[in-house]
Amino acid sequence: MSSLIFFLVLILVWQAAYWLGIDVLHIFRPYVMPSPIGVCTRFLELLQNGSLLKAVGNSLLRGIAGYFIAVCIGLLIGVAINHFRYLQKNLKPIILGIQTLPSVCWVPFSILWFGLSTRAILFVVVMGAAFSIAIATDNAIKNVQPIYKKAALTMGATQKQLYLQVIFPACLPELVSGLKQGWSFAWRALMSGEVMTTSIGLGQTLIMGRDLADINQVMLIMIIIIIVGAMIDKVIFSKIERKILSQRGLL
Amino acid sequence: MPLLLNDIEMKFHDDQRAVLSHINFEVKDGEFICIVGQSGCGKSTLLNIIAGLIKPTSGVISLDGRPVEGPGADRVVMFQEHGLYPWLNVIENVKFGMKLAGLSKEEQRERAEYYLKLVHLEEYKEYPIHKISGGMRQRTALARALAMDSKILLMDEPFSALDKQTSNKLRAELQQVWMETHKTILFITHSVEEAVYLGDRVVVLSPNKGEIFKIHDIGIPRPRYVYTQDFVELRHQILEEVKGEE
Ligand SMILES: Nc1ncnc2c1ncn2[C@@H]1O[C@H](COP(=O)(O)OP(=O)(O)OP(=O)(O)O)[C@@H](O)[C@H]1O
Ligand SMILES: [Mg+2]
Repeated sequence: MSSLIFFLVLILVWQAAYWLGIDVLHIFRPYVMPSPIGVCTRFLELLQNGSLLKAVGNSLLRGIAGYFIAVCIGLLIGVAINHFRYLQKNLKPIILGIQTLPSVCWVPFSILWFGLSTRAILFVVVMGAAFSIAIATDNAIKNVQPIYKKAALTMGATQKQLYLQVIFPACLPELVSGLKQGWSFAWRALMSGEVMTTSIGLGQTLIMGRDLADINQVMLIMIIIIIVGAMIDKVIFSKIERKILSQRGLL
Repeated sequence: MPLLLNDIEMKFHDDQRAVLSHINFEVKDGEFICIVGQSGCGKSTLLNIIAGLIKPTSGVISLDGRPVEGPGADRVVMFQEHGLYPWLNVIENVKFGMKLAGLSKEEQRERAEYYLKLVHLEEYKEYPIHKISGGMRQRTALARALAMDSKILLMDEPFSALDKQTSNKLRAELQQVWMETHKTILFITHSVEEAVYLGDRVVVLSPNKGEIFKIHDIGIPRPRYVYTQDFVELRHQILEEVKGEE
């Protein structure tokens, strides 16, 4: 409740600052300053002509598809670098290095390989998220208490049983936070990918706002990008996290 | 004669002295054998070697005539920390090992319920692990280990993380369980009282050399009580040996 009031006050202050800066003191030119009213108007317009929903839908679909591929690749690499000492020693440092690359750095590569296509965007998303997921997976498996494995081994567990019935459930809480972080990387990477192409989506609508010198549209899309990314985080990942933790009495 | 230890020696580092050396003994079928020794004398190391979790520097262990190589379900271990899985409830934990072994659902349930009853936990079988007490967790771990019906059950100070009262209660229950089941058990403890209370034989490890100092036959009839004269005398004698002040 108090955060809602804070939020409303923030918007009021924003509107007041806009009014003061443009109509009273004439410091800013109106087309470089967004205003709450302007953003709302643009929101209603884009909602009415359907382009906003289409952009959100397209971006979400691409984000989820790319994220899904990134999760598969990330889990696979993560388990592999954890399991094989050789890869742990030689491949992991490289992945750690690649992981620090901002996802925009993959854009030139993706355009040269895939052109200005959806596949190019997916490539950026996958590259942006897969490596962080791999590192998180490796760490999650490393943090499994040794006693869990020892107990299972002395009860006759095979390697496969050890992974499926002990290591995987044991590292699930940490794995889910890794996947959650992976999602935020994927979502950011998606935007770096989308701003470069012309296929309809949030990133492309953002750039269109710039091209039309429509600062309110730019602001609107930024807000929507934040809201959609955060919604997935709160509605999906935080729920799963809480459920796992409370089931184990860790909450 | 299920378990045979033949001249076990263990060095963690080549340049250091042996943690264990010249360890020779056997565990007979249906026998309850206890190993006592001071902290750091190599008890857990010995148990881990028998369990197959670590390899001895030299020496051979065999179970029913077959050499031990790596861990296996014929030598289930119950550890000091219970090692129960927090994502499973009490009965699912007890079934875990049987599930690994591929037993039928029906048999898993039957055995799990039988052993949960034996450790007085039948009413708690649906509880999550974090909602039962430390003593109940160790009982669950005991039920899980017993339900595996392994050739030998290895126990590494299973009650020492509990308070004195609970630990005394659990060891009385273990004695009861053993009198009913006559499982072959190798039990490690630093408490001489516990060893004399539970063991058919007690193996005393010397404090620093990592060797067997003496093996006692405990002839006291069961159920045993810690205040009888023969118990007190034997306990006193072994305590002196463990401390190394003969
Ligand atoms: N992995 C290891 N690497 C090197 N030294 C070890 C290792 N494990 C145990 N040791 C050493 O071996 C000795 C015996 O350890 P161990 O854990 O077997 O003792 P313990 O009798 O079980 O003691 P406690 O009663 O405290 O559990 C100790 O001196 C310990 O430092
Ligand atoms: Mg120990």
